[in-house]
Amino acid sequence: MASPWIAIGALALVAIAIPLGMMVVSSLLRPTVEEQGKSATYESGEIPTGSTRIRFNIQYYMVALLFVIFDIETVLIFPWTVIYRSAVGSAGLVAALVPMLVFIGVLVIGLAWAWRNGAVRWVKSPRAEQRRQERQRQ
Amino acid sequence: MVISASLVTWFSGPTLQTAPPIGDWVALTPVLLLGLTALILFVIDSIDPDDASNTPALAGTAAVGTVLALGAAVVLLAAGIGQGQGGALRLYGGQLIVDGMALFFTVIFTSVATLVIVASYDYLADRVYQAEYYMLILLAATGMTLMAAAGSLATVFISLELASLPSYALVAFLKDNRGSVEAGLKYFLIGALSSAIFAYGISLVYGATGRLGLDAIAQQLSGGTQLVGILGVGVLMVAGGFAFKTASVPFHFWAPAAYEGAPAPVSAFLSSASKAAGFVVAFRVFAVAFSPDAVAASVDWTLAFWLLAAVTMTIGNFAAATQDKVKRMLAYSSVGHAGYVLIGLAALNAGQNGLVLGASMIHLLVYGFMNTGAFLFVALAEHWEIGRTFEDYNGLGTQAPIACVAMSVFMFSLAGLPVGGGFMSKYFILVGAVGTGHFVLAALLLINSALSLYYYSRVVRSLWFEDPADSLSIDGYPVGLYAAVIGAAVITFLLLPGIFLASDVATSAASALFA
Amino acid sequence: MVAVQYYLLLSGAIFCIGLFGILTRRNALFFLMSVELMLNAANINLVAFSFQYGNLTGQVFSLFITALAAAEVAVGIGIILVLYRNFGDVDVTKATTLRW
Repeated sequence: MASPWIAIGALALVAIAIPLGMMVVSSLLRPTVEEQGKSATYESGEIPTGSTRIRFNIQYYMVALLFVIFDIETVLIFPWTVIYRSAVGSAGLVAALVPMLVFIGVLVIGLAWAWRNGAVRWVKSPRAEQRRQERQRQ
Repeated sequence: MVISASLVTWFSGPTLQTAPPIGDWVALTPVLLLGLTALILFVIDSIDPDDASNTPALAGTAAVGTVLALGAAVVLLAAGIGQGQGGALRLYGGQLIVDGMALFFTVIFTSVATLVIVASYDYLADRVYQAEYYMLILLAATGMTLMAAAGSLATVFISLELASLPSYALVAFLKDNRGSVEAGLKYFLIGALSSAIFAYGISLVYGATGRLGLDAIAQQLSGGTQLVGILGVGVLMVAGGFAFKTASVPFHFWAPAAYEGAPAPVSAFLSSASKAAGFVVAFRVFAVAFSPDAVAASVDWTLAFWLLAAVTMTIGNFAAATQDKVKRMLAYSSVGHAGYVLIGLAALNAGQNGLVLGASMIHLLVYGFMNTGAFLFVALAEHWEIGRTFEDYNGLGTQAPIACVAMSVFMFSLAGLPVGGGFMSKYFILVGAVGTGHFVLAALLLINSALSLYYYSRVVRSLWFEDPADSLSIDGYPVGLYAAVIGAAVITFLLLPGIFLASDVATSAASALFA
Repeated sequence: MVAVQYYLLLSGAIFCIGLFGILTRRNALFFLMSVELMLNAANINLVAFSFQYGNLTGQVFSLFITALAAAEVAVGIGIILVLYRNFGDVDVTKATTLRW
């Protein structure tokens, strides 16, 4: 009863010890030279423009949202696929298949509606458009 | 491998081996009609989303769908489906239960939804995203009718979310209006929190009993349980989830903000139908699954509901008395009415279960019409853009006498005067409270009703006895809003003599829960 | 095999962490994450007790909770988005047009 837990505890200890040990060893070995270039974002010398906190196009959100919804629906479909064969055997094709077809049909109506309403159409943000024009002018 | 093997036994159980007979589908007609109408709206809107000229088609389809569902529910109720000797219809292995109570509440939800949709046609004129609005109303109504028929904690949770998620979006529907967005945010935050608490409560109840079906839980609990503490905490957390949905203390904070900020028809829908939906599930879960005797060792929830009822009606009415905006006053009065209905749960297990629960059901029915009507009158005022405070309503009786007569009926009926069904339903609750020996609750009911007469009559005084401001002018008499307001008023009035028709149905439906 | 009360402790701890996050954080996105934690605490309970009792009800219900949590987040992020557009912030205490 207790033995697998000893093994897991030992594994956890090793897992913590290895990265800690590597960090300690490297901090002991590496030379410390004060130089400003090392803290730059790109050590090659490229100077970054602006901060990393920019606003993303809203379209990413729409796509991500659709993805999450349909990703989660597979959670509900998956158990059905696992037992589908034996369910057909015991309950018949109609009783096993039709409820899932109805479920997917509802999803398809929702997807078609979202598609028609432009959820997956890539709208150009006015800011990006403006920047592109500025670049062309230069 | 183990999981897939047990899934096989789970799926090939009695639920799938026999396809449900046609009668089961018939019993669910109202739910199916509402869901189907929502899907049809999706299809209609998909044909040409940018075309604003199909608005009448959308509103018409939505209204026809709810009216058909209402008709189906009335027919099923009259035909005695799921009532009488046969007992409740248990569908899909007891996941859904169609009985007198489910059909009674389906009538409430579909009536309110019909009134709201008819009124929304004018209220929403010239706004964008109308198709989404009607879809969300119908999906929420579908969720509510499913809540009324939920037979296990799993279906309770899923249908509750189906009713809640569209409601969040509906409250924030005016997305350029800061009040609406803020109301939607607050409703969502407290709703998400309470649904998490509710889910955790369900998981604890499952931990104590190993079942999710309401009947199965009752059966398991009758044999006693060792996990007394877990069950007690679980029951209280489930009660918390219902307190949110019914806008009762301690989860009532969202109600004033959400009802005030939301578009008025949505406030009407939420404060009447959504509240009734919360109550029907609470009735069923607490009466069937956690009957007071079975969980006596863990928690005495009748005492908890006694406290909630007393605090809720007092807080709601006292807060309503201090408001200066009509819509916010109605929001707090809605909290107060939740307190009156909670008496039905607090007075259970005193030998008159059918009577007290039936009284609460009748009050929710009458409240469905009078409160919807009152909020739709506010919608009418918002349509005219005459302002939100009591003073802004001054002298409206000279300009729109018919609507103001209707509003006066709603106000007096809400206060419990005998001009509408509200008098009789409050009387039934009072009789139930006295009959079960809850004299303190009965006294609080009387005191709060007297107080409510003060603030309800303020509206009536503004409408009829104050001089109108010089700037008061209304443009037009929108047909849809007027039809909905007058329809609600006529039914509220008719429920005064006709209450005994409903009270028989409600009392026998409530008694059937305990049979 | 780990006894079921340890799972109950774990889920209770996660639930309380979520509740603590809701009560202390003012950022609406952290609120969403905290609610997610609380729902997953319920899932842990359901799966653990499902194993304990040997029936699958709890596991199947936890799948439904997962799906509903995703739907709730979808609606919630939409509302937070319009909140940001109207108030220029996702701080839930900044929206004070209406009194509480």
